Amino acid sequence: MGLALAHLVQRQPLVHRLAMLATLVGWIAHTLALLVLALQLGRPPVVSLANAVSVVVWVVVLLEMLVERQSGVSVLGAFVLPVVVMLSLKSSVARPAALAPALGNAWLWIHIALALVGIAAFVLNFAGAIMYLVQEREIRAKRPGRFYHRLPPLETLDHWTYRTLALGFPFLTTGLILGAVWARTAWGSVFTFDPLAFFSLVAWVIYAGTLAGRAAGGWHGRRAAYFAIFGFAALVITLGAGLFLPGRHGA
Amino acid sequence: MALFAAGLSHKNAPLALREQLAADESKVREILRDLVGGGALREAVILSTCNRVEIYGVAEVPGEARAAAFGHLCRQRGVGTAAVDDVLYTYAEDEAIRHAFRVAASLDSMMIGEPQILGQVKDAFALAQACEAVGPALHTLFTQAFAVAKRVRTETDIARHAVSVSFAAVELARKIFTGLTGRAVLLVGAGKMSELAAKHLVEQGAFPIYVVNRTWARAQEMARALAGTAVPFEELPTAVAAVDIVITSTGAPMPIVTRRIVADAVRGRGTRPLFFIDIAVPRDVEAGVEELGDVYRYDLDDLRQVVDANIRERLREAQRAEGIIEREVTKFRARLGDVEIIPTIVSLRERLEEIRAGEVRKTLARLPDASPETLAAIEALSAGIVNKILHVPITKLRESSRAGAHRSWLESVHELFGLRRRS
Repeated sequence: MGLALAHLVQRQPLVHRLAMLATLVGWIAHTLALLVLALQLGRPPVVSLANAVSVVVWVVVLLEMLVERQSGVSVLGAFVLPVVVMLSLKSSVARPAALAPALGNAWLWIHIALALVGIAAFVLNFAGAIMYLVQEREIRAKRPGRFYHRLPPLETLDHWTYRTLALGFPFLTTGLILGAVWARTAWGSVFTFDPLAFFSLVAWVIYAGTLAGRAAGGWHGRRAAYFAIFGFAALVITLGAGLFLPGRHGA
Repeated sequence: MALFAAGLSHKNAPLALREQLAADESKVREILRDLVGGGALREAVILSTCNRVEIYGVAEVPGEARAAAFGHLCRQRGVGTAAVDDVLYTYAEDEAIRHAFRVAASLDSMMIGEPQILGQVKDAFALAQACEAVGPALHTLFTQAFAVAKRVRTETDIARHAVSVSFAAVELARKIFTGLTGRAVLLVGAGKMSELAAKHLVEQGAFPIYVVNRTWARAQEMARALAGTAVPFEELPTAVAAVDIVITSTGAPMPIVTRRIVADAVRGRGTRPLFFIDIAVPRDVEAGVEELGDVYRYDLDDLRQVVDANIRERLREAQRAEGIIEREVTKFRARLGDVEIIPTIVSLRERLEEIRAGEVRKTLARLPDASPETLAAIEALSAGIVNKILHVPITKLRESSRAGAHRSWLESVHELFGLRRRS
């Protein structure tokens, strides 16, 4: 990540290559670690939320590398990787969890998988929103600086946040519904207070509102970007709540 | 033999003098033939552009060669040598290498990073080659200068950002819109800068182009020039609503694109941004329109500010480019040095090996029944002594060539060991 940031500042092709290489090496190491964990457990390595976040990180880094390769936006890493590092730290300092007894049902695995893909898309959504706001600010202020020259055009960034939102939302929605259905069969009630469930609902409402605003109300640009950031903040709190507060998703 | 570069440039010589001295191709040919044919220089390349007149050469005495070259040039152009002598600079050896690299990489240009100079240097080199004025030294130097220029261009951003108002406007459009293909442009009023900006936009795929002018005939004329459509002045509000980019440059005393026109245009255009490039003074687009949704407005001062920022960015990049040049000069010098010291090292080794082999033969003749172990020991002993003796001189030679001071060392080594001159 440091290298990606250095690239943003320095724009040395060599630094960029090193950053990409470091990212790739890290990702491969991560893949191996997840595989080993999965073999040890004999099931997908998402038995605790900390594991699950680790899988999110894995997916996001993979997406980041693919998008960067495809679009040639070489500064994407500088925006995505800090978020990734933050999530990794969170997942690694979380209390080690025992295997939750409720796990084992196929629906539950799908619930987890869908939620994870949704979150991965929203990490990219968040990065796009930040880039949009930075670029917009420089153009409005009429003092184009370092970011102006390095970031993609406003329209592209706006389009990007829309697409990642449209991609992540169905996954998050289905994931939540499955979670609710599962909660009903497992605990007999859809919504006994669980911090993660509560905050993920908040995040869902924010994203649903943004998507509706974009699709029907002509929302775009700065407003949509702000909501992308709110939504992501709610997601981060969600994961934080799941990792650190007692509840059904935690230990 | 010494490598040198001498001449005058926009840095210290007035335009009038540069104009007088600038020589066309046939004149350069003539001078090259006279200089190299006459023996004043062994090799020469003459670079003559509107910003610089320079000679790159290899000569026994660079000072004399320079005087001969510019004396010739001055006579030919009818310029007094006194005026020229005052502003002439001369670089020798490393400095000449550095200068050649910097000129080719456009670091010595009036506008740093301007792309024409590399082509001009290449032409000058080709011309000198055609006149058979280029030998191995200048060939290596210029080939490397082209490679360095390419490296600077790809590894730094010295040539990346717009340094003219009209290009800066296009660059801004490209940071607002995802590509300019199919973006509609409205040109209001006439003016060199605005027409240039419109042309750049068209080159980037902008289409269609509408032209509004108070004078209908003028509007039609410009529409023809830009392959666009003339629109009556009264329909300005409709036209603004229909396009993505508006360039204005009328002489109107009051803003003609008012806040109300823009507010109407923004209504119902969805997420499409609207970008005003206002090159008129006084301004044509009312201040405050950028508060309306996705409207961006840059006036002449804003654009100049962007250009200034871009020039500062180029200067920052130029700093990095200078670093590249320094490293390349060091590398190049080492390469040149190696080329010069390697033959000496080879003959030094041969000379000592010859002595060693001779002495070993003599010793063995006196020891007819020496065991194989003794023979091997004698071989190893003598080879060891030779290598120990050679170690310091060779290291010194290499070090001195890295430092560019190997010539006197080469002389000494030849003298001390009685080496034969190879060339």
